[in-house]
Amino acid sequence: MLIFSVFKTLTDQRVTVELKNDLSITGTLKSVDQFLNIRLDGIKVLDEQRYPHMMAVRNCFIRGSVVRYVQIPKEHVDVQLLEDATRREAANTVKR
Amino acid sequence: MSFFGFEQNDLEREKQQFISGQVKEDGLAEYTWGEDSYDGLGDALQEGGDDLNDETFGGVGEVGKDFDFTRQVLSDNVPAELRRTTAVQQSNGFPQERSLSPPQKQAPSSYTSSSLQSLWDSKSPFSVLPRGFASTSRVDDHHVRAAASPDLLSHSQSAYPTFSPFADMAAPVTHSPALSQESIFPRASSQMEGRTLQEIEAEMRASAVRSREAPQLRQQQLLQAQARTPPPRLHPHAQSPRFHQLQQHILIQQQQQQKQQQQQLQDLQEQLRAEELERQLRAQQISQLQQQQLLLRRQSPSGPTLAEIQAAQHLAQLQQEQRRRQRSPAADQRYHVPQPLQESAQFLPQNIQMQQRLLAELAQAEFIREYGTPQTQEEQEALRAEAVRKIMEAERMEEKRRRKAAKIAHMSRYNDLMTQSDKDFITRIQVSQLVTQDPYLEDWYCQTWNQIIRAKQGLQPEEQRVLTFDSGVGVGLGIPGQRPSGRKLSAVQRMEAQVERIVNNARQREKEKGLQSLSSLQGALGKTAGRSYKAAPRQLLQVDSPRPAANGDHSEDEYKTDFEVHAAKEAAKLRKGVLGEMHDEHNFVRRDPLTHLEVLAIIEHLYDLVLQLGAIERYDLSEDVEGANERREQRKRLVDSLYEGLRANLPIETSNPHPFISLLGPMKGKVLFPRVAHVLEEDQLLIVLTLLITCLTQLDVVAGAHLLDSMEDTPERRDMERQTNAFQHYVLIVSVLHALQKVTLRELTGILRLLRDQGQIVTIARTKPGLDLLFLLLSRADLLIHTHTYDLGADSTPQLSMEDVEVWQSEFDLMFSALHPHLTELFPSERILRAQSGGSAQIPPEHMDTAAWQFLASVGAMASLPQQQMLVTALREKVLDLVIGVKKGWVADSEERDMKTKNVNTFLHALKLDSSQIAV
Repeated sequence: MLIFSVFKTLTDQRVTVELKNDLSITGTLKSVDQFLNIRLDGIKVLDEQRYPHMMAVRNCFIRGSVVRYVQIPKEHVDVQLLEDATRREAANTVKR
Repeated sequence: MSFFGFEQNDLEREKQQFISGQVKEDGLAEYTWGEDSYDGLGDALQEGGDDLNDETFGGVGEVGKDFDFTRQVLSDNVPAELRRTTAVQQSNGFPQERSLSPPQKQAPSSYTSSSLQSLWDSKSPFSVLPRGFASTSRVDDHHVRAAASPDLLSHSQSAYPTFSPFADMAAPVTHSPALSQESIFPRASSQMEGRTLQEIEAEMRASAVRSREAPQLRQQQLLQAQARTPPPRLHPHAQSPRFHQLQQHILIQQQQQQKQQQQQLQDLQEQLRAEELERQLRAQQISQLQQQQLLLRRQSPSGPTLAEIQAAQHLAQLQQEQRRRQRSPAADQRYHVPQPLQESAQFLPQNIQMQQRLLAELAQAEFIREYGTPQTQEEQEALRAEAVRKIMEAERMEEKRRRKAAKIAHMSRYNDLMTQSDKDFITRIQVSQLVTQDPYLEDWYCQTWNQIIRAKQGLQPEEQRVLTFDSGVGVGLGIPGQRPSGRKLSAVQRMEAQVERIVNNARQREKEKGLQSLSSLQGALGKTAGRSYKAAPRQLLQVDSPRPAANGDHSEDEYKTDFEVHAAKEAAKLRKGVLGEMHDEHNFVRRDPLTHLEVLAIIEHLYDLVLQLGAIERYDLSEDVEGANERREQRKRLVDSLYEGLRANLPIETSNPHPFISLLGPMKGKVLFPRVAHVLEEDQLLIVLTLLITCLTQLDVVAGAHLLDSMEDTPERRDMERQTNAFQHYVLIVSVLHALQKVTLRELTGILRLLRDQGQIVTIARTKPGLDLLFLLLSRADLLIHTHTYDLGADSTPQLSMEDVEVWQSEFDLMFSALHPHLTELFPSERILRAQSGGSAQIPPEHMDTAAWQFLASVGAMASLPQQQMLVTALREKVLDLVIGVKKGWVADSEERDMKTKNVNTFLHALKLDSSQIAV
């Protein structure tokens, strides 16, 4: 569960979640679970003109399966460490 | 509503009147049975099955009244058949009424009758009137009229007791429909007229005795009565024989209860009588007061006077008291036991209405009292406005509160739907998916990231945030961050408990599995479908790999075979050397340089090794820990294979570029280098370093350095710049500098000679990485010599022999003389300017030259006096150029200016000069 581990380090950071229905929500990551369900606080939809109904929404829970991408802040990701982690993961999967 | 006391004709009322039979349409058939004008044709009808009609409809004799719930409280003597019809009662009028209560005479009989009608007409199965109209609304309407019109209200004095639910108790003869039908039962009416309380009580007592004496008889009587006279309300259903049976059954049961009830009722009755008398008195008082009030109001139309207020208060008090009394348990019981709820509801609207009116008046009165009697019209107005405002505010608040309450109620609908154990169960399911054999490994990124962050913040590295149990099973807990507190802490604790439980359960299951052979039960309940449960889609692209193993092993194997082949060749070469053959470069096993793919594969393999090493280093490698030896062995093995993987021990001529240099080519190779250098043994590192310097020209960043000598922004240049920066950072600063810390002067001399031997020192010095490397070497040598000179006593520094210094110096001189003719070429800006064709000259940014200035400064510091002079002479023009440019303000950008001054000073300071000494 590398990705889960990564998300754990990103709690309380601003992330942008792109959903499969093209809705992009920016908010503070509050929690993530093993299904990568995401809870965001203080959310803002990227294209407010198109989704005016989202203006009143302040926080949300996003089911992991509807997420297309998550844009994470670069400064909070240790790229090298992440590379290592993926290598580790790959090595472990091969072993199994 | 009425205006000026005139009754308004409204449709609704007319409709009601019509419905209640007060207004008769011409076209409507009129049935008048039970009245005097009844023609008796119904009796003349010859029909079959009429034999028992009299019994059914109560035409014969005295019938038991056990089903007459309304009359239960009263004596048994009052026969149930009395209320056979209501039409009779209507036509007959109310003689007792007149005789008993004179004030009621004034009341128009239409009111009283309509109120009685409202009780009875729509309920009676015998009524011919259209049904389905709620009698309550009629009464309501009735009272709306009564309350609103002052003229009508005056009647309420008399009308009010009529509607009191107890009116028929205190004056039972007056309004009880059952008792008012004296035309049919003269005996009842005549008796009733003169009866006193004592008489009634006596009757009841007697009946109680009777019932006690002859229950059998009574029961028979009752059964008979039941058969003959079904209660009016039940009549429509009474045709079913089964229903009769049921009724009889109920009757028997009821009768048994009756004895009990009777006793109770007697007590109640006495209580009620006393209450009722009092109430009547009060009611009279109230109505008097009301009248008074109305009069007063007419007198003072501007607002209620003090007297009115007092009256209203008094009235309210009385009203409240009365209401309380009405609600007294005795009254309630009496009321609800014998009568259906609908009837009781009839009285409520009136009461509520009264109450509301009184309360409104009271509120007004209170308000006036609070603010004093208003003096002027304006004040009054102001007060009124204020009051309105306050009321509005209060209403708003109330609305707000109500909405909030509603919301809370709405949300709390599902409160406590799940018990704690349910929640725990779900948590367990969730957490169980996170439990792994090696929580640290699973959560590796998060754990390591935290360690790095903590290290950056200068905090003590915390113990791993993983929950582990003896077998190493556990869950990674994520960021330690702030200490959890309060709810969070308890949540964490709960989760810990949950995980422990999961783990223990799993272990238990394992044990159980161990006991009974697993295979014996497998498939006992049928086979499960293949992989339907797996979410992964079938792979469309299936590439046959030559080996089953994937990437990591792949490169390792390849590498091993490579290495074996190479070793054989090396051995062959050595044998040749032993045999006295000259070292022949051309005879040497030359190989093609590694392809890009090979390089990447090798790098990945090296990464795996590094990671394995990292995993081992997590454990304590000190002696006393169990398994430490094994781990050290393993570590040694890994380091060795890592070193071999770098291919640093291959002869320099193996290929061009050398395999090791190839590995430094891609970005990730450069990134990997410091990590490898960190774990390598010292001698291994020195070899690697030497190899790096020897083959420096083969490095991509050196070979391609000319790309940087241009101002054009091409992708290649950008890439080269990126690579150069990475090389400088990862290889030079992190690794080489680190490695040079342990290098002696003699070794430095050797390295410098290596560079010079290739005859390419000028080429190297014209590249940024080369300059940086030379700078590092010179400054290290400088440091070594100076610590030797000034800090002789220090034990830590190895003693430098004069010989070493001399060798170094001569080597330096050689390098200097080699570089001297090309000193200005060391500056990228100079190279760029020279390359550019005159006209459209762009001035390169100064930061490009920083490395050159730094190197020259280190050269200047190291150089002897004549060398320094040569240096100054060669660079005089360049220095003056910069200084004048800065001082005359030709350089617009202040940053650029500072940079130029700084660069010049770096160099001049090494010669113990300063740019300020230069006169312009």
